[in-house]
Amino acid sequence: MSTTTTYDQLVDILVTRFEVSREDISPDVTFEALEMDSLFLVELLLVIQSEMGVTISEDSASPSDTVGQAAKLIDAATAAAGS
Amino acid sequence: MRRPDVAVTGLGLVTAAGIGTEASWAGVCSGVSAASRNPELAGLPVDISCTVPDFNPNKLVGRRASLIYDRFVQMAIVAAREAVADSGLDPETWDGARVGVVLGCGMGGLRSYDQQHKRMNEVGPQAVSALLIPMMIPNMAAGHLALQFGATGPNFVTATACASGATAIGCALGLLRDGTCDVVITGGTEAGVLPVVTTGFAQMGALSTKRLDAPETASRPFDADRDGFVIGEGSGILVLERAEHARARGARVHARLAGYGASDDAHHITAPDPEGTGVTRALTAALADAGVSPAEVDHVNAHGTSTPLNDAAEARVLRRLIGDRAAVTSTKGVVGHTLGAAGAIEAVFSVLAIEHSTVPPTANLELQDPEIELDVVAGAAREHKSNVAVSNSFGFGGQNAVLVFTSAA
Repeated sequence: MSTTTTYDQLVDILVTRFEVSREDISPDVTFEALEMDSLFLVELLLVIQSEMGVTISEDSASPSDTVGQAAKLIDAATAAAGS
Repeated sequence: MRRPDVAVTGLGLVTAAGIGTEASWAGVCSGVSAASRNPELAGLPVDISCTVPDFNPNKLVGRRASLIYDRFVQMAIVAAREAVADSGLDPETWDGARVGVVLGCGMGGLRSYDQQHKRMNEVGPQAVSALLIPMMIPNMAAGHLALQFGATGPNFVTATACASGATAIGCALGLLRDGTCDVVITGGTEAGVLPVVTTGFAQMGALSTKRLDAPETASRPFDADRDGFVIGEGSGILVLERAEHARARGARVHARLAGYGASDDAHHITAPDPEGTGVTRALTAALADAGVSPAEVDHVNAHGTSTPLNDAAEARVLRRLIGDRAAVTSTKGVVGHTLGAAGAIEAVFSVLAIEHSTVPPTANLELQDPEIELDVVAGAAREHKSNVAVSNSFGFGGQNAVLVFTSAA
């Protein structure tokens, strides 16, 4: 799975499930800037788990991370699970 | 030392009769019941309710409202914003530590609980939202108002079932009188119109079942042919303020909150004491607290649920204590029984009755039960000057709360 695809999937989740405006999202924008605090991030990780089948621990992501970093984290977790 | 007077300086409402105080007041004054068939209840023994129409949380509360707040909190936020704006107070500049929030809520976020419980059963524990607990717990109604308005004074939610809103307002009165707060945002909120909750009330025989084909005629307090209540939802919020504080800033005062009385029947888990001993004590205590005699009461917004037992027992107490001098109404005929919000919504209606010198009619009161020996307003709203208005609220568990409002002048 390429980073672009994962990133696009993540953007779709943010837009459809977290009511974030698509135009506000870019790879460099942080979750904080999208008004997503730690509780929302936990919720996002749960949605990623149920919709993308990827488990990411709460400790490895923070609201100061960017959307691009989160996409890379998902890719890394996917690769680790597949190896 | 004389106790400080307490002024009502802000009002906000969300009811089945409309969103906003103006729409809700016009609705109750019309005497037309807001009950209707509820598609979510289709196929259940009782499928009618007084649901708030066109309540769009993302439009009314803001982005992500449906992700962060259960419906009972969304309605409290809408009503509280109206009440705070109406008071003329500015949350940007007020001393938040002197502002309390006390709300009543009988049930809390049962809709969120219900949805997540289904997800856990159908999908598994991994599907349960991390936001469930803060959406579900009833105290969040007050907690979110603290966040909205920077109100950092005492903050809590009272639960006395259908008296919760009135109990909250009574507790708020205490915080103002004892000097803890200058301002308290108070009232109640409830969004319990769910299939399982409605069916629970139906199973215990509390709901009207005779007129499911004509929902708008089902809630008929004090009528000879009443057979139960219609479940409703909504929120009523009042901004209460130490009168001196209100005067100093030249605030418009709707009315004064002059007294509060509370008691418990200790008679039965749900049925009212037919002798009304507990209600009598709460009413007597509230009038004494307000420093008015029973003969001075001009208007009563009754608990008046439209159940055979409540209305008869309440009327006996009112007849014995106040007589037939007061103009009595039950606004539950129009907006239904909003459970934990009822006492607060009816407190707002009581204040408006004083302010507008108008008593709204009791919807569907066609033939007054001969046992109800009171002057109950029926048909159309009545022009009636009230200097003293009483609002009664009684909850399961025998919990009684009575508020006394007096005119601002």
